[in-house]
Amino acid sequence: MRQSARAGLLLVLVAALTLQATSLLQFLLARKGMREECSRRAESELETTKAKIMDIINVAETAVRNSAWVASLSLEMPDSMLAVTRRLVADNDVIMGSTIAVVPGYLKGRPLFSPYTYRSADSLAFSSLATEEYNYPEKEWFTKPLELGSDYWSEPYVDVGGGELLMTTYSFPIKDRFGKTAAILTADISLDWLTEVVDNIELYPEAFSMMLSREGEIMVCPAESLVMRTNVYEASANFEDTTVHRLSKAMLSGQYGNMPIKFNGKVNQVFFAPVERTGWSMSIVIPESEIYGGLRRTAWLVSLLQLLGLAMLVLIIRAVFINSIKYKEINDKKERMENELKIGHGIQMAMVPKIFPPFPERNDLDISASLVSAKEVGGDLYDFHIRDEKLFFCIGDVSGKGIPASLLMAVTRSLFRSVTGHENSPRRIVTIMNESMADMNENNMFVTLFCGTLELATGHMRYCNAGHNPPYLFTDKIHKLLAVPNLPLGIVGDFEYVEQEIDLEYDDALFLYTDGVTEAENANKELFGDDRLKAVLSTRRTAQGQLDAVNAAVSEFVAGAPQSDDITMLFLHYLKEDRTKTKQHHLVLHNRIDEISKLADFVNLVAEDAKIDSSLAMSLNLALEEAVTNVVMYAYTDGADGPVEVDSLISDGSLSFIVSDKGTAFDPTASPDVDITLDASQREIGGLGIHLVRTIMDEVSYKRENGRNVLTMTKKL
Amino acid sequence: MDIQINKEGNVTTVVLAGRLDTPASQPAAAALEPVINDASGTIVLDCKALEYISSSGLRIFLTIRKAAMAQGGSVVVKDINDDIRNVFMMTGFLNLFDIR
Repeated sequence: MRQSARAGLLLVLVAALTLQATSLLQFLLARKGMREECSRRAESELETTKAKIMDIINVAETAVRNSAWVASLSLEMPDSMLAVTRRLVADNDVIMGSTIAVVPGYLKGRPLFSPYTYRSADSLAFSSLATEEYNYPEKEWFTKPLELGSDYWSEPYVDVGGGELLMTTYSFPIKDRFGKTAAILTADISLDWLTEVVDNIELYPEAFSMMLSREGEIMVCPAESLVMRTNVYEASANFEDTTVHRLSKAMLSGQYGNMPIKFNGKVNQVFFAPVERTGWSMSIVIPESEIYGGLRRTAWLVSLLQLLGLAMLVLIIRAVFINSIKYKEINDKKERMENELKIGHGIQMAMVPKIFPPFPERNDLDISASLVSAKEVGGDLYDFHIRDEKLFFCIGDVSGKGIPASLLMAVTRSLFRSVTGHENSPRRIVTIMNESMADMNENNMFVTLFCGTLELATGHMRYCNAGHNPPYLFTDKIHKLLAVPNLPLGIVGDFEYVEQEIDLEYDDALFLYTDGVTEAENANKELFGDDRLKAVLSTRRTAQGQLDAVNAAVSEFVAGAPQSDDITMLFLHYLKEDRTKTKQHHLVLHNRIDEISKLADFVNLVAEDAKIDSSLAMSLNLALEEAVTNVVMYAYTDGADGPVEVDSLISDGSLSFIVSDKGTAFDPTASPDVDITLDASQREIGGLGIHLVRTIMDEVSYKRENGRNVLTMTKKL
Repeated sequence: MDIQINKEGNVTTVVLAGRLDTPASQPAAAALEPVINDASGTIVLDCKALEYISSSGLRIFLTIRKAAMAQGGSVVVKDINDDIRNVFMMTGFLNLFDIR
């Protein structure tokens, strides 16, 4: 028991581990997949956005470059410079303002010169940046390209004068015809569109985008208060958590990549990419809860389901375990009980005579009995024994089934044995049994019993029926023995039982049975019944042969349907011969020659009864055949059909055949005998038949009686 | 009743088996008609397997005997059992036949 409990526990454990391991693996794989998917989407989004930005940047750069040649020419006539800038602004929507700032000292008489065109409301305005307070030669947009000798995108800035716009300036060095850098051509670009483009990124509901300038200024971010007021790189330098600083450093150095950073207590994945030429860096920040949110929920659900499943498994194993204990207990009990019932069956069968033939030395009695219990133990019984040349026999059926019935069966049989040890009268036997059974009958059980005493010498039988079904009596036909039903044993203690009697003759028989025979049921709920029983019994057999035949017929009838009741039978064949009695056989033939063949069997039957040898039997057959042939050939007029009756009689040491017919009167004995001494040529063909009859039989006589020819032939035995 | 007839040269052997009773006699007589019609040789009636004979059977024996006599032949009855020998005795047939 313990072992199977442990095995059950182990099973649950293994199942749990397997489930957990597979779901963990599944979780990790799904997480990896989602992570990869997220990266792909973020990177492609970055690329798309960058392409949009680069479009505008390129437009601006191209426009400026295209104006560079004209600007170079204008160095010769500085007054045309304003026109160049004006054309540049007018032709390009993205360009908010433009100037050509001449390197100080290049133009004679004009230490500073920088005519400026800019958009104001819907029109263009013009001014000069060559003022002392502005002092353009110190501005980054002027110094950097000079210093680098190439074009330059300025750090973004907020244009304080023109509506707080985020701006950036593209500067392009202009060379004179000697190849000397003489001026810087600029285009101020509004970055309004940038916020719009960047904010269009909508990967996840809570994801957001950020853009940093070359120096680490926040150019675009959802919190507008931070825009152009926070330098992430500088601010994060002092953070305890160094990841933000490392991230901004990576972004500012123009790298592609991604990094996890923590803020507001959440882990976020930051994907970033540089925007070439401008030195800006663009990033998308996605909270991990967004990336794996769905997965987490699914994982929780799966885990919950698994837990439920495991709990059910534990319950099932527990139930199976408890059941198996119960089942084993029941099985053990059942086995013990079956064994005890088997022993009970043995004891029960030992109580009834079951060696057949029981009296092999006797030739006046052929008796056999059988009991087939429906269950291991049954309530049917039979018994018989001989005392003082009397056969005491009974058959009975205890009410109910199983062990109680089997116990009462044992009691009944013991009572029968003890009472028949000194009582001869069935009425007395049944009365005494009834009294003692009624006395101790507390369970209201009863027994039907047929009890008989047969005087073996005379065939006189007395019987008393205590509520049992009457037996079949076999004389020259089969019928039910007349039996007063009375009452079963054990019901009324002082019941007056009626005894009956009958004389059995040689060859008479009794078939006693319990209702298990006639009430044997087939699968269609049909009963075997009296008609089938009678049909089986109508063939002559030995006692055992009759029982075997009935058992076989019942088995065939029920065809495997379970036996519902005990099947018990007793066949008693009385065979005491009485020399004083006559035995007769009778045969009726038609007056046809082929009928004569039947005589052989008839004579054999008679010969068996009379115990005569085969030679004499053949002679008798011959005599009878000659007599019958005579009648067949001559008694009836041609073609008329008429019977020929043959009777045999064995009596007082002689055998007679009587042949009679209703044909024309004819006395065969009156014809003269043939002369058997004549030689062949003189012998007549006819006359031999009657001669043989006369020779074989001792006495032959003819009489005409009631219109019948009666020929009697007698042979002394 | 079973009858077999074999003719070899001058000798006709008739094997009779079973019961030659009244019903069997009519077909037996018909079967033996060729023997009766050609009875100039030796006719051997083999009765080893003959179990029974009635007067109708005896009549056939007598008919064959008479035919042989008329046609100059002879009849031999072979291997009759005791019961049939008894019938032959009772009917005086023992004297009419050459019984071997």
